[in-house]
Amino acid sequence: MSAQASASAPTRVGAAPRSPLDPRVAASFWRRELLRYWRDRSQIFGGFSRTVLWLIILGFGLGAALREIEGYSYAQYILPGVVTLNVLFASLQSAIAIVWDREVGLLREVVVSPAPMFSVALGKVLGGATVAMAQGTIPLLFAPIIGVQLSVTKVLLAWCVMLSMGVLLTSFGVIIAARMRTFEGFGSISNGIIQPLYFLSGAIFPIRGIIGGVGFLAIPDALRLQLQKYGIYSIGSGWVVQLPIWLRVLVYANPVSYELDLLRDVLLGFRQLIMAADLGVALGLPLIATAVAARAMRRMYKR
Amino acid sequence: MPDAVRCDGLTRTFGEVEAVRDVSFTVGTGELFGLLGPNGAGKTTTLHMLTTVLEPSSGTASVLGFDVKRDGAGVRSVMGMVFQEPALDDRLTAHENLAMHAVLYAIPRHATRERIARALSWASLENEARRPVRTFSGGMKRRLELARALMHEPKVLFLDEPTVGLDPQARRHLWESIRALRGEGLTVFMTTHYLEEAEDCDHVAIMDHGQVIALGSPTELKGRLEGETERSLEEVFLELTGRELRDEAATPRARLLAFGRRGGEHTR
Repeated sequence: MSAQASASAPTRVGAAPRSPLDPRVAASFWRRELLRYWRDRSQIFGGFSRTVLWLIILGFGLGAALREIEGYSYAQYILPGVVTLNVLFASLQSAIAIVWDREVGLLREVVVSPAPMFSVALGKVLGGATVAMAQGTIPLLFAPIIGVQLSVTKVLLAWCVMLSMGVLLTSFGVIIAARMRTFEGFGSISNGIIQPLYFLSGAIFPIRGIIGGVGFLAIPDALRLQLQKYGIYSIGSGWVVQLPIWLRVLVYANPVSYELDLLRDVLLGFRQLIMAADLGVALGLPLIATAVAARAMRRMYKR
Repeated sequence: MPDAVRCDGLTRTFGEVEAVRDVSFTVGTGELFGLLGPNGAGKTTTLHMLTTVLEPSSGTASVLGFDVKRDGAGVRSVMGMVFQEPALDDRLTAHENLAMHAVLYAIPRHATRERIARALSWASLENEARRPVRTFSGGMKRRLELARALMHEPKVLFLDEPTVGLDPQARRHLWESIRALRGEGLTVFMTTHYLEEAEDCDHVAIMDHGQVIALGSPTELKGRLEGETERSLEEVFLELTGRELRDEAATPRARLLAFGRRGGEHTR
């Protein structure tokens, strides 16, 4: 025991490095996400309450005024949007939990253990995405009420899109959470990230299309004929909408728009964007986001 | 046999602030070593550098001969760590938390069941194994964490303020456990600001303002200050570090904990 340790003892090198991909580690962190989800009934309740509010209340409420969008009722039109909203909430909530986990939770255990952080990140992202799929399935349970016919194929394809969306958004959340020093409420996440992504995705209004008439423009046939006597011809009860250019730019810049467009194509057979762009975003972006998220988690502590 | 812990000129800066400056000491194998100091002295930062949580800005450190910078994986494979605040998943049961640990340390599947059972009985938590950790008291969590840190049979155990927040019974139990472990040849490195606990250590280092200001056995330190014969380590400590109160701004972690205690949403 000496105050000035000057000697440079030969440094041991050993402990065979573990591969960054450890399936057992990834699987146990995936399972952990599911256990946490299952034990937190408030999250499941949130999924149902959001669905009722957006799909049933808003869907039928606004649907009473806005008759149809390209032949779909308003409730039908926003069904894929409500699925997306649930995926957004579940993914971000799962991702943000790492702020807590890192400071005073299980993630600190990981840092002092020989386990590879890459596998932990992979388990985390896949777990978050799986929870998002479960939450995104809740609105599909309401499909019969709003008159959308589901088939096994449709649900399987929808799950594929939800998985892609969940991986993308959980990774995105992890990248943000890795930079957050502290966390004192989900409100800022909801207002600052979830809602902008949701509103700017074409979830609740179409990018362009023929919109069925608002109540007062639905002119009774008698009045229509009477107006024709005076030489006034109504053009049916519809008109073509086109978003203002600035709004269109924001919607096109939002990756969620493409995922959602794909989901709407799967569930309703209605698409507004180019299929190649949709598929490109849905297949490519989640992979890139996962890689960035894993890197962010590895560097989180070494600030 | 390499030293259990050795650091030489260890320094860590955060921006402009030098949290730890030129810290050097050695801990022999099988020792109980105490790192003492008031709040904000740099104890935890030093501990984090030794346990590869933080990278040193300069200087070197090694644990059982594994360099913390070049061979972090080696360090992590021979050490166990108990953090100041519980590093458990509150929503998982005691059993599930231990099972996660077994996976992290690549304990073979066939050995896992037996190791978990042993850890639970060591912590006297056999009957609470299937309860979520959020229903546990502070003492139960600490016992679980200590049992977990020993599951992979580490050679060096790091404890950060292990007795903070424990009642006298839990504290006594913890000390008895630590003594028993030392009997088995484990090196224990702990930080504390309870001076009476440091009396038990083989060697202590007193830190203040990021530097080691005294180093030696408790008896040596007590003898170093002239004057009255019977001095407690606490008097020595106050003599060395001064008597002014140490106020610290709340760290992000402290704020997060306070938020959690208020019942913070979507956190745990």
